[in-house]
Amino acid sequence: MAARRFADRDNPPDLNPRDYVSGEVYRDAGLFQAELDQVLGKVWHFACHESEIAGAGDYRTFQHATQPLFVIRGEDGALRCFFNVCSHRGARLLGDVAGTASRLTCFYHLWTYDTCGRCVDIPREEAYATTGVEKSTLGLREVRTATRSGLVFVTLDDAAPPLDEFLGDSLEIFDDVFGDPSVEYEVFHFHRGTVEANWKAWQETIVDLYHEFMHVVLRTTQMTAAPMTERDMRTYPGGHLAIGGLKADYHNYKAYGAREDSKAFPGLTVDDARFTPLFPDTTIITRGTVMRIDTVTPIDAHRTVVESRGLGIKGEPEADRRMRMQHHNDYWGPFGRNVPEDAFAAEACEKAFGSGAARYQIIARDEEGQGQDDLMLRAYYKAWSDMTGHPSHNPKNQ
Amino acid sequence: MSSDQAIREVVYRTCTALDAEDFDAFMDLCAPDLDYRVTAFSPEIRKEMTWLDQDYDGMRALLDMVPQHLKRLGTLKRHVSIYFMEDDASAKTAAITSSFIVTHTDPEGRSQLFVAGTYFDEVDYSGDRPLLKKRKAHLETRDLGIGSHIPI
Amino acid sequence: MTARNAESWRTLPEIPETHVVSGAVYTDPTIFADEKKRVFERCWHLACHESELANPFDFRTFDYVGTPLIAIRGRDGVIRTFMNVCSHRGAKIIHEPAGNAERLTCFYHLWSYDDRGACVDIPRPEAYQSAGLTKDDCGLFEIRTETYLGLVFINLDDQAPAVTEYIGEALAPFEASLGSGELEVFHYNRSVLHANWKAWQETNLDLYHEWMHVLLRRTQMTAASMDNRVVKAFKNGHTMGGGLKAAYDKYKGMASRDSDMALPGLTPDDFFFVDLWPNAALLARGTAIRIDVVTPIDEKTMLVEWRGLGRKGDSPEVRRTRMKHHNQYWGPLGRNVPEDAFAAEACEAGFRNGAAVYQVLAREENGKGQDDGMMRTWYAEWARRMERSPADPLRSAAAE
Repeated sequence: MAARRFADRDNPPDLNPRDYVSGEVYRDAGLFQAELDQVLGKVWHFACHESEIAGAGDYRTFQHATQPLFVIRGEDGALRCFFNVCSHRGARLLGDVAGTASRLTCFYHLWTYDTCGRCVDIPREEAYATTGVEKSTLGLREVRTATRSGLVFVTLDDAAPPLDEFLGDSLEIFDDVFGDPSVEYEVFHFHRGTVEANWKAWQETIVDLYHEFMHVVLRTTQMTAAPMTERDMRTYPGGHLAIGGLKADYHNYKAYGAREDSKAFPGLTVDDARFTPLFPDTTIITRGTVMRIDTVTPIDAHRTVVESRGLGIKGEPEADRRMRMQHHNDYWGPFGRNVPEDAFAAEACEKAFGSGAARYQIIARDEEGQGQDDLMLRAYYKAWSDMTGHPSHNPKNQ
Repeated sequence: MSSDQAIREVVYRTCTALDAEDFDAFMDLCAPDLDYRVTAFSPEIRKEMTWLDQDYDGMRALLDMVPQHLKRLGTLKRHVSIYFMEDDASAKTAAITSSFIVTHTDPEGRSQLFVAGTYFDEVDYSGDRPLLKKRKAHLETRDLGIGSHIPI
Repeated sequence: MTARNAESWRTLPEIPETHVVSGAVYTDPTIFADEKKRVFERCWHLACHESELANPFDFRTFDYVGTPLIAIRGRDGVIRTFMNVCSHRGAKIIHEPAGNAERLTCFYHLWSYDDRGACVDIPRPEAYQSAGLTKDDCGLFEIRTETYLGLVFINLDDQAPAVTEYIGEALAPFEASLGSGELEVFHYNRSVLHANWKAWQETNLDLYHEWMHVLLRRTQMTAASMDNRVVKAFKNGHTMGGGLKAAYDKYKGMASRDSDMALPGLTPDDFFFVDLWPNAALLARGTAIRIDVVTPIDEKTMLVEWRGLGRKGDSPEVRRTRMKHHNQYWGPLGRNVPEDAFAAEACEAGFRNGAAVYQVLAREENGKGQDDGMMRTWYAEWARRMERSPADPLRSAAAE
């Protein structure tokens, strides 16, 4: 039981490679580029919930893999996604976060597009006659879009397999929740925050059950609410994960009131907690009466934007909506008991990994799939290694 | 003007005078027994520190010398909000607690927060006009960049 | 006698190479990367004063060129330093700048360490059995720490010679004061300044810039003969400037300092200072001692930390006066230090994009007056460790 020599920090831990991850994954410029190209540039990424773009012409802008994008519902009712960039001089096309428009007009020279991305108007077009530049070849860059259970996904990879193949069975623990045809969901909460950390550090706070020790709300409401041996951790092809079998007893945290089962989402009781982290950057979580969807997107290797949505039932009574907003924000809002602590954790890891001071992290817990096994972190980094082509324990082959 | 407003204005005018670097106007607001301190708490050494500590003559001398110093470029602007005022009618003093921020604007016109803090003041109104007798300017902000020749 | 054109501006003057420093030392990223390795990972760094860790389990955290560290006084009274990073998932463990803790517990999964850097608790540790990981494998990384004259030094190089050997005789003038064991820190301030770290250290090495400070023009330049100045250079690049006097009452509003309040071994009117290579300065003005330490954040940003020392057990009145003496010169609202910070940032503005090409350190006064010898000594040591000429630091070894 002793301190270690500083000179030894370069040595990898004496563990199986699957049980540790190199700090280079958080800071190396080459690996970050590999992530943009081989991971974020290839997967299906959650863009928004369909309720955010319910009517024809409704759009939402967002960033994915550092690319500015927007999704828009066409006049034909279909959802499409495009690069938020004018074909003329590269200017950002839509400046606001959301809106409605049947025609998208660039502020710069008033070039105009329709909701299918076709260029429909170019002022004083005749000047292009001699060069042969014409509208029909100047549509917006479209990005493949598909929806499942009201969740809108996009992919930058024109050759990606269909969304259903990408997701496989990974949403199965939400089958009850999304499967009731009489229940339509809508987004009642949205907030975004910039976290001074690598994007994966945030995702890890979701995938790592062991850090229940960090959150007083989870120590009091979750760690002892059900036996650790009843936890149901699942891995899916492509790196998706799921955690079922978690229970929460909100009575144990001072300031949380009683909750009624009648207000829980279809198939759930108020003490249910289920998580589906979709690889590599999105998570759907429910706690009985509330559902949260998080996505992370990198600004660069050291800064990340986290977007957090809360879902409720469309048309529910005001009292129910108010209750849901309260339950959601108690835990997951920017002033909630839980989410600010995860941001603290992600930033605390950046302080040592970002500069290269810390070299490795350990993900070696094995509880045969129960309790606080690290198998989900290992599955995450296995998928990362497969997709980037760099083994996460030694990605720079040193 | 009500006497209450005249007392408050002592606090406001110390700020506008320092902003304008009108040191005569500033000293004119100060009582002869002035005790002016700027403090901060260091969590590193777990102690309160006094970064400026002047009586009337000391403050006058300090301000007289300021024009000769190599000063940070740009201007400072103080914003103060009086929170509480407690009157001691027998001593004819008012204890005033205010919150303040000071912004710095560089020669190119960019502004940034310079310092945030609290003034704990004592204004003496026993004479023909109210004067600042005591100030403790306690700073929240401790990284002052280059620092400042002019008191906060 | 004309202004210069592009070519003549860029041509080095015909003076010895040791008397010129190229702006590349401030701006070039490869030189900065080299400095991190050859200077900051090899030399003793003044981390804090022992009075900041007075009791067992007292700790101080700080960031040393991107590495979070924690210094803690053990139950055995010894001060040790560790990487302030949890062996589990790389989180920074302790976030307060100072405190007292028998156990250092990481917020993330509650792994705990003791004052010797040993990992003493891992919640639900049985899950690590199949991987063969135990607490014994998970101690914190320890950094060389040695205390000398009450100053706590650290070194990232496990093989470096002892700090007493590194410093040699350079701190002799401070033996009576710092060595008395009677001093404590009453002032701590830090600032991030926008300039290369060497631009700050130069303000400690350059007597000629007395001209810049109205305070020193009044109280120091004529307080004693320029011929009385004594400058010494030591092995490893340390320097001392002494033989200076201060006439405090020559600056409006300041009074002469009381000899009753002088710290052990110091006289109220004398001023001397020692600059430890590469990045510390210790200054004595009779009633207070100032210590500053500068570290780079990147090649154009630095962190400066200032400390003021007085006597433990000072009465409140004495402490108040001592603080005033210290801060009227050296505090962030003082008459002196803000001007040095101004100077450092002004030089950055000149060198940052190459407008300024080099600086001239050519004053020779036989070590008296305002000789540039201290700066030349500093850069000679830089040249030795970096294996580069400060006048032409990007010149490749092969070409020589």
